[in-house]
Amino acid sequence: MRGILLFLLVGIFFILLQSSVFPLFLSPNWRPNLILLLILYLGLSESLSRALISGLLLGAIQDSFCGPSLGLYVSVYLVIILVTRTLTEQFNAESPPLLLLLIAAGTLLQNLLIALYLTIFAETASVFHILLPAIPKQFFANLFFAAILLYLLLRFQCFCGYRPGLAGLVHQSKRYGS
Amino acid sequence: MRELLRRYQFVLLAIILVLATVVLYSYNLRQKTATTFFERAVLTFSAPFQSSIDSVVDSITGVWDNYLWLVDTSQQNQQLERENLNLRAELQQAQEVLQQNVRLRKLLAFVDDLDRPALPAQVIGEDASNWARTILIDKGTLSGLKNGLPVVAAQGVVGRIIKVAPESARVLLITDASSAVAALVQRTRTRGVVRGRGDNLSIEYALRDADLQVGDLLVTSGMGGVFPKGLPLGVIKTVEKGQFGLFQQVKAIPTVDFSYLEEVMVIVGEDDL
Repeated sequence: MRGILLFLLVGIFFILLQSSVFPLFLSPNWRPNLILLLILYLGLSESLSRALISGLLLGAIQDSFCGPSLGLYVSVYLVIILVTRTLTEQFNAESPPLLLLLIAAGTLLQNLLIALYLTIFAETASVFHILLPAIPKQFFANLFFAAILLYLLLRFQCFCGYRPGLAGLVHQSKRYGS
Repeated sequence: MRELLRRYQFVLLAIILVLATVVLYSYNLRQKTATTFFERAVLTFSAPFQSSIDSVVDSITGVWDNYLWLVDTSQQNQQLERENLNLRAELQQAQEVLQQNVRLRKLLAFVDDLDRPALPAQVIGEDASNWARTILIDKGTLSGLKNGLPVVAAQGVVGRIIKVAPESARVLLITDASSAVAALVQRTRTRGVVRGRGDNLSIEYALRDADLQVGDLLVTSGMGGVFPKGLPLGVIKTVEKGQFGLFQQVKAIPTVDFSYLEEVMVIVGEDDL
């Protein structure tokens, strides 16, 4: 429960950054989706139940901060967590290139799912014109901020000690080694 | 049977959850105008934080712009003086037109649609995604706001309120892909529907024979029941007529620059008509 609460607080902090701070400096396409990074991390590192509950709540929070309808990001993030979970069981989740690949695939999957949902359910086909050109910029923005967050997380680990849930991240730390 | 369920429990759980969330989304799409308890709680909780962040960032950028970053100040001053002269000349012309307009309105017993009370509000946040175009303002139900109210800026239409919390409200911008506003071309009175395309607008259902030119101003037609008639929406940027089809492909630039939007007005009064 404490873990879920922690993820929610981090999510709210990220969403405030996305809606109030990033718009002052970055155009919409260059703004990273920090919640997506959190979702990928959840899918990669946390237990399935914790990842699902936290993911659904984070999706609902993001829905409250964007677009007109509740439920879009809830569903999209659920699918991303399930896909991430399935993939990480097949691959070596501790490989750094896999993290980069995961961010790229996550960004692509998120945009495709949003476009699909909006086209099928909301009949806003023109959203494709907004989403498609944004994907490369989104990818670079997500990658850049993921690198910063990863660096901060590894530094943070040094103070808080080893945490067994951090699959894929602990072994990249030079301090801990592989 | 139990063995089968146990073996495929992950797949079954995944399918049930995905279906449940799709049903939730689909249900909420139908309830577009309703603000759910969850959304109201999140907006209420986050509004003070967003206002604080906005104030802090405003202070920092104010100090930076006014005291530190003064590289172009002299050139800007000269440019502004030139603009000021031009604007004064235009203002005098506008006052003449205004007086003429008042006389004509009296003559034709024409009702001024825009005579409605409006409430000023400050923009305290933007959309947290890159595809949706919404903003958050610092007024809500406590100030008398409700879903569907039109929001305007000095340059034209901004959008309409779609979610309301006690002290904040979310505004769907006209550039959002799900936004559609009944419009007409000011010069020719040609009708169409202005749809959002992220950073610009497209005009749908503009008949192939209609006289549309680059630079034409689009205004609200008042037909949708949300916006008063005659508010500026955008300026036509491109007009394309294919070899076939009933309609033209028209793109427009919104009159409001949404990247620099700080204050807006919410039209709260009912139409006098």
